[in-house]
Amino acid sequence: MVRINRRRLLQLSGAGAATAAAGGLAGILASSRAPAYGQTTNLHWVRWSDYVPASDQLLRNKIVPDGEKALGIKIQFETINANDIQARVTSSIQSGSGPDIIMAVNNWPQLYATSLADVSDVAEEIGNAQGGYYDMCKTVGIYGGKWIGVPWAIGGGLVVYRKSWLAEAGYEKFPVTWDQWHDAGRKLKAAGHPIGQTLGHTFGDASGFWYPYLWSWGGKEVEADGKTVALNSKETIESVKFAVPFWNDCCDPGGLAWDDSSNNRAFLSGTISATNNGASIYLEAKKKPDMYLTDKGTAMKDDISHAPLGTGAGGHFALPGPFIDMVMGYSKNQKAAKDFLRWVHSKPVFEEWFTSQQGYTDGATKYWEKDPVWDKDPVMLPFRDLPNSARLMGYAGPPNQKAAEVQTKYIIVDMYAKAVQGMPAEDAVKWATGELTKVYA
Amino acid sequence: MTFTTVAAPRSYARTPRRGPVTRLLEDERWLAIVLLLPTVVLLGLFIAYPFIKGIMLSVTDTKVGVPGHFVGLQNFVNVWHDGIFRVAVWNTCIYTAIATIFKLALGLWLAVLLNNNFKGKAFTRAFILLPFIIPTVLSTLAWKWMFDPTFSVINWGLYRLGIIDHRINWLGDPDLALISVIIVNVWRGVPFFAISLLAGLQTISPELHEAAAIDGARAWQRFRHVTWPLLLPVTLVVMLFSVIQTFADFQLVYVLTGGGPANATQLFSTYAYQIGIGTGLLSQGATISLAVFPVLLVVVIVQLFYIRKAETH
Amino acid sequence: MIEGASWRRWVFFYVPLTAFIVGLLFPFYWMVITTVRPDNELYRPWNAPNYAPFWTTHPTLEHIKDLLTETLFTTWLLNTMIIALSATIISLFCGLLAGYALSRLKFPLAGALGTGIFITYLVPQTLLFIPLADIIRNFRLGDSPWALILTYPTFLIPFCTWLMMGYFKSIPKELEECARIDGATRWKAMLFIIFPIAVPGILSAGIFAFTLSWNEFIYALVFLSSPDEKTVPVGVTSELIRGDVFYWGELMAGALLGSIPVAFVYSFFVEHYVASVTGSVKG
Repeated sequence: MVRINRRRLLQLSGAGAATAAAGGLAGILASSRAPAYGQTTNLHWVRWSDYVPASDQLLRNKIVPDGEKALGIKIQFETINANDIQARVTSSIQSGSGPDIIMAVNNWPQLYATSLADVSDVAEEIGNAQGGYYDMCKTVGIYGGKWIGVPWAIGGGLVVYRKSWLAEAGYEKFPVTWDQWHDAGRKLKAAGHPIGQTLGHTFGDASGFWYPYLWSWGGKEVEADGKTVALNSKETIESVKFAVPFWNDCCDPGGLAWDDSSNNRAFLSGTISATNNGASIYLEAKKKPDMYLTDKGTAMKDDISHAPLGTGAGGHFALPGPFIDMVMGYSKNQKAAKDFLRWVHSKPVFEEWFTSQQGYTDGATKYWEKDPVWDKDPVMLPFRDLPNSARLMGYAGPPNQKAAEVQTKYIIVDMYAKAVQGMPAEDAVKWATGELTKVYA
Repeated sequence: MTFTTVAAPRSYARTPRRGPVTRLLEDERWLAIVLLLPTVVLLGLFIAYPFIKGIMLSVTDTKVGVPGHFVGLQNFVNVWHDGIFRVAVWNTCIYTAIATIFKLALGLWLAVLLNNNFKGKAFTRAFILLPFIIPTVLSTLAWKWMFDPTFSVINWGLYRLGIIDHRINWLGDPDLALISVIIVNVWRGVPFFAISLLAGLQTISPELHEAAAIDGARAWQRFRHVTWPLLLPVTLVVMLFSVIQTFADFQLVYVLTGGGPANATQLFSTYAYQIGIGTGLLSQGATISLAVFPVLLVVVIVQLFYIRKAETH
Repeated sequence: MIEGASWRRWVFFYVPLTAFIVGLLFPFYWMVITTVRPDNELYRPWNAPNYAPFWTTHPTLEHIKDLLTETLFTTWLLNTMIIALSATIISLFCGLLAGYALSRLKFPLAGALGTGIFITYLVPQTLLFIPLADIIRNFRLGDSPWALILTYPTFLIPFCTWLMMGYFKSIPKELEECARIDGATRWKAMLFIIFPIAVPGILSAGIFAFTLSWNEFIYALVFLSSPDEKTVPVGVTSELIRGDVFYWGELMAGALLGSIPVAFVYSFFVEHYVASVTGSVKG
C-alpha cells in the first residue's frame, strides 16, 4: 500500500475504486477493522501481500466492504508476507482454529488436502461460467476427485530483458534455443551486462528458472506414476553439463546468493541485461520512468521487453504459481466462506481486481485471455500465454507433498548449484537422484 | 569480598510481630515452594505440553492435518541417513563454536573498555546495544543489502582501499556465506556479552584492584588473577545461554541466505522449518529439532560442569 | 584504569573502543542512510561512478513519512512496547524469585528443578509453536496481546533465573546471615538485603528479556492476525515486503524508529545500574 496515493489508486483500479478514496490511506488501513453492521458471521480471509499494492488496497477498501454489504457478513481481511503463510496454515490446521479462507500459492492445496473443505460446487460453477480452468489449476486444485480450493489467478515469470543491449549483441529478438542463449549471454557478459539468475535458496525465482530449464532439456524428476525417480537421465546430465559453462560465461556470479528481490534490484540498477522474473521489474520501471534510466539517459521502461524461457530438445516451459483460495476444514463458517468465494470470484468482482493487476497475473480460466487489460501494453502481452506452457513441480508426477519436499530442500536448484561450484555433472545428478529417491521412497 | 560495607542499617532489623505466614516462610522448603510457584506454573502450562507433544510427533509419521501412526524411531533413522541433515548439524556446530568464541572474546574486551571512565560513557554504553535492539529480521535485511553482490558497500570500501580488485561474492561463495552469517551473528551478540559482563565487572570492588595494584600487580596480572575469577560465573552463564541461542538460531539465516547456496549455511533449525512447515512433514521437522538435542545436551552438561566448578572454586 | 603514558591510553583504550563503536554502529548508520536516501539513489551498483555509500546529497524524509502515515507503525510500536514490557516484568518477577530459591535455599530436588527449568530453554521455538497454538486456542488467547505476554516468558524465564542465580551466588552468604542475626526474617533479608545488591543483574536480565520479546517473530506471526494487533517485526515485514518487491527505505525507517527510543531507555537503565553498584560499594 505504500507509495500508492489516491490518484494512482484510481488510475490503477479504474473507476470502481472511487469509493475507496475517501478517508486517506491511514483511515483505509484502519478500516480493515470493518464497521460493525451487526452481522453475525465473521469471515477471516488471509492472503499474501500482493506484488501490486494497489490490488491489496482495492480488496481492502472496495471489494471486501462490497462483499460485506452484498452478503451481510463481516470480513476480516489480512495480508502477510508470502514466505510466512505456511507457518500460519500449519499452526491453524494443527490447532483447528484460525482463518476461514487462506489463499495458497504453488502446490500448497495438495499439501493440506485432507484439511480443506470440499468446494467443488463453487469451483465448478466459476470454471464453467468463465470458460474452463487451465490444466495446471485443475492439477493443483483437485484432490481425490474433489475441488479443495477455488483457483483465483496465476502468477508467473518470463525473461525480462533490455532490448538495446540484446541488439548490441546482435539479437533483435531474444534468443530462443539454449545455444543462442549461450552465444548472446557470452557477448552480453563480455560487454559488462551479464544475464542475472538466482541459484540460491529462494522462494520463487530459483525454482522458476531451474525447473523449466530441466524440463526444456527433456529431464524430469519422476515418471508419470509419481513414484519412479527418473532424474538420472542422459537429458538431465546434458542440462547440467550445459549449465556450468552457461553460468560461467553468461551469468552474474552473484546469483548464487540472490533472493527473489535481488535480480529486481540488479536489473533496475542496470547491472544485468536479462533475468527470469515476474512483471514486477517492468511495472516498477514503468511506474517511475524518471528514476530508472538507461545509460543513455532514456527511460528504462522503453528498453524493456519480455520473452519466454529458452527452448531445448524437450520444448519450452514455465513454472507459474497458481493462487488458490482454500476454505479451511476446521472453519465453522464454511457456507459463508463459499458464498463469499462465489461472489468474489464472479466475473464483475474479479474483473476489478484483475484490471488492477495490469497483467501481472493471468486469470485462472481461459476467459481472462480476452480481457482488455492485455490490449493496454504490448510489453505485458507475453504474460497472457504463460499458463499454456506451464508445468508444475514434480513433473511428470503430480505436484504432491513429495514434489514439495524436493522443492523445499532445493534439490533441483542445488544440483545445478553444486555443478556450478565444481562438482562433476554426473556426480551432481547422482547426488540429486539419491536425494529424490529418499524423498519418493 | 568487600560487601560487608554494603548494607546500611535499615528498618528490617526489628520486626515486632510475626504472623503464621511469615513463620511458614522461615522454613526454607516452604519459602522455596512459594518462590518457585510462578515459574513452575508458567513453564508447566506453556512448555511442558508442547514439549511432550513435540516428542510424540517425532515418533509418529504425522503430516500436517493427518494424524500419524506410531513408527518408533524410524524418523530418527531417516534423519541419520539424511545427507542434508548431517551438513546442517555440522554447519550448526561450526556456526555456534566460532560465533561464541568471537562473541566472548570481543564482548569481554568491550566490557573492559566500557568499564573505564570517559566522556560520553552513558551514551556509548547504551548505543553500543543498538545491534542487539534492532529487530533481527530488519537488521538482517540491512546486512543483506550490505552483502549484496550488486550493491555491497563493503566491497566498495575494500575496493577503494585497494584491497580487492574484483567484488567479493559474500553470500554466494559457500565458505564466505557461512563466514558472513557468523559475522552478523557476532555483530548482534557482542553488545549483549559486553553489557552483561560489564554488569559483572561493576560488582567487582575497585578496592580489590587497588589492593592488587599496591602489591605491584600489572594490569594484565590483575585482570587474570582478580577480575577473571570473579567474572567467571556470570561469564559462564551468559556463554551457556548464548551457545543455546546460537545453536537454535533461525531468523538470521532464514532471512540472509535461506540456507543456501547449496546448503552451505543450512542450520538444523532452518532445515527443520523447511521440512516441517514448508513441506508439512511435521514429524520429520520435530525429529530434526529433537535429533540435535543430545548434541546440545552434551555441550550444555560440559558447560554446567564448569559452572559448578567455578562456583565451588 | 589504563595508567601511564598517553600513547598507552590511545593504543589500549581509544583506538580499540573507536574500532568497536565503528564496527557495531556501521550497519546502524547504513540503515539511517538508507532511510533518508531518495529511491533513485538506492539502485546504484557498487562500482558505479556516482555511488556514494556514506552520504546523500538529497536527504528525504519521505520514507519515514510513508511509514508513519501509510502503515499502522505507531500502533505496532505501541503493541510491541506493551507486550515486551509485560512479558519482561513477568519473567523478571519469576526469574528473580526462582533464582533466589535455587541459589540460596536448601530443599529437596533443587538441582533437578534448576536443570528442569533450564532444559525448557533447549527446546527450539521452531518446534514449539505448533503445539503451542493448541494451548493458545484452548485458553482463547488468539489474536490478543496476552497470547504473547504469556508465551514469551517461556523462553525468558530460564535465562533470567539462571542469570540471577549467577549473581546471587557472587553475593556472600554472610551478608544475609548478619541480617538474620539482627532479627530480620528470611523474607525480608531477601527483599531488602539481597535484591538491592542484585540490581545490576536484574537490569541486565531485564534488558535481555525486553530485547528478546522486542525481536520475537514466529509467535507474533502465528498468534496474532488483526492488522492493529501486530508487532513491529511482523507488521513491518508483512506490509513492506511484497513478493519480490522490498520497500527498503520504509523497512529501514521501521528498524530505526523502533529501536532508538529503546536505546534511550536503556541508556537510563545502564547508567542507573552502574550508579547503584558504585553507590552501594562505596556505602
